Amino acid sequence: MARDKIYQEEEFPSPLIQLWIIFRQTPSIMIGLGAFIFLVILAIFSPILAPHSSVESNVAMAMLPPAWDDAGNISYLLGTDDLGRDMLSRLMHGTSLTFGLSFIVVIIATVIGVFIGSLSALTRGVKSSFLNHFLDVILSIPSLLLAIVIVAILGPGLSNTLWAVIMVLIPQFIHITRNAVKEEFAKDYVLASKLDGASSLRILHYSVMPNIIEKIVSQATFAQSAAILDIAALGFLGLGAPIPLPEWGAMLASGFDLFYIAPWTVYLPGLAILFAVVATNLVGEGLRHAIKLRKFS
Amino acid sequence: MFIFTLRKLNLFLFTMLLLTILSFSLSFLFPGEQLINISGQINATEQELAILATSYNQEGNIFEQYLAYVFHIFSGDLGVSMSSQTDIAGEIVRLLPATIELSMFAFVIATVIGVPIGFVAAINHNKVTDNVILAVAMIGYSVPVFWLGLLAILTFSIQLGWLPSGGQISLLYEIERPTGFMFIDILVSESPHKWQALQNAYAHIILPAFVIAAAPATVFIRLARSAMLSVLETSYIRATRAKGLSFIQIIFRHAIRNALIKVIQHIGLQFANLVTLAMITEVIFNWPGIGRWLIESIYQRDYTAIQSGLLVLSTFIFIVHIITDYTYAALNPLARGAKYGSR
Repeated sequence: MARDKIYQEEEFPSPLIQLWIIFRQTPSIMIGLGAFIFLVILAIFSPILAPHSSVESNVAMAMLPPAWDDAGNISYLLGTDDLGRDMLSRLMHGTSLTFGLSFIVVIIATVIGVFIGSLSALTRGVKSSFLNHFLDVILSIPSLLLAIVIVAILGPGLSNTLWAVIMVLIPQFIHITRNAVKEEFAKDYVLASKLDGASSLRILHYSVMPNIIEKIVSQATFAQSAAILDIAALGFLGLGAPIPLPEWGAMLASGFDLFYIAPWTVYLPGLAILFAVVATNLVGEGLRHAIKLRKFS
Repeated sequence: MFIFTLRKLNLFLFTMLLLTILSFSLSFLFPGEQLINISGQINATEQELAILATSYNQEGNIFEQYLAYVFHIFSGDLGVSMSSQTDIAGEIVRLLPATIELSMFAFVIATVIGVPIGFVAAINHNKVTDNVILAVAMIGYSVPVFWLGLLAILTFSIQLGWLPSGGQISLLYEIERPTGFMFIDILVSESPHKWQALQNAYAHIILPAFVIAAAPATVFIRLARSAMLSVLETSYIRATRAKGLSFIQIIFRHAIRNALIKVIQHIGLQFANLVTLAMITEVIFNWPGIGRWLIESIYQRDYTAIQSGLLVLSTFIFIVHIITDYTYAALNPLARGAKYGSR
């Protein structure tokens, strides 16, 4: 949409709108955003869109190669696995598991992390230093290792995996919110509202939050790509989603034995994970780029 | 430098304190009896349990119990594995070198490949080369490592048959393992087929190491690129240009040195990520390292092993962090003054 100046009026778009104006200028990033939205729609509507059931097996149609192969069948576009389940439908249902759940996981982790982080930014002294060291320790443990330990405590299963991934992601959000809030609190406009008599919480809500929300959103996209990979990795190791569920990592693991006979059962879930992660990373990359450009303009 | 060392030491002690507390509290969090979780003695009789209880100071309060646990760790007793009843400390000493070897190998590959490519991208900023490198890097750190591992096995081991698909060395070579590090063991061994064994070990490590290195290498590309870009914008580079130095002189004498310092600062942080990737890759490539052992102990609900494995792996990662911090401080005097956590 062209932004014509008809009236002699200065226009100051809000920070988020400014971000969007810069964000949409790069074509590759808009493609990423398109793919991201596509995945979100697929995750929500997959039960309606998928041509077959994700668990129903049809042994007569087992191990069909994808439709473009000579032995393929057009009603099973991407072939079938060893139990005759349609790969396309399983992948579509898997979107709502791997991608959709990672979305929910990140939202929960963001809310908790931002809450703790912004409160902890207001503390000073020993408490603050302790928290800093504590976060450093947690961040130095590999996320997957931590997730594995949490799964070991809670026992394997999809919902436990999700809790594990949430807990692994929270420290990153605390860390980034804390640093961002501290940075903002050192600025003059915060001092101005402090002089007006605003309480810390009020400053946090009305002055600081609108200015750091973009940092949090860009962190959230990176957290989501990590969450997709972690959920899939735990699924692949057999600690996450149970086998019949079409979670992409678990699908890959169950295709592992058929690798040499039916390679598409391994190629396709992997490609799906790659696609989702690239789309998420492109959006995150675009956000980060836009934030950087806006700072300079 | 002395104060810097003190500060690092302080941080190290604090971290070890937290890690041991974490691992100690895990024995309460895991399902089952705490004493059995911490010691791994599932088949112990009443008397043996009573002896264990005194050695772990179960009568005392929680703080005394923790002290007893730390004392056990320092005397090299991490308990026994619940599933195999073998000594965990011994297992870890046997398995950790393989993981260290693999992750170090991958780390070197990632650095050697990633950093120069990142510099090339920065020098060609906003040109086709830069964009291509960035696009490849984006795919590189998005690709799931288990999938990449499977594809690598399919291509290089099955279809092309160039490299073995798993294990650390062919079983034909009998190498004694005094240190646990395969390459050192081969070099000190008296075996007549030393050089063939060495070649064989190389052939085994290349594939998993490259698979692990893929994602960190792309992160290094981006780190090196942004470091180089910020160096190229500084006024001292403009000054060298005004002096009439050639482009190659500017890059090799001035820019690369200063950019490398910035890269080294962040390189250590990638190590934790790399170890995670190594754990999964060990499972796929059947590598006899601590990652595979840890994941297998989850399948077997071997809580003692998980607890000790967590402690040892995170200590290892933390030591690497401190080493890179030292390298950074040794190379860059400015960093020694910076207060920890002041960023």
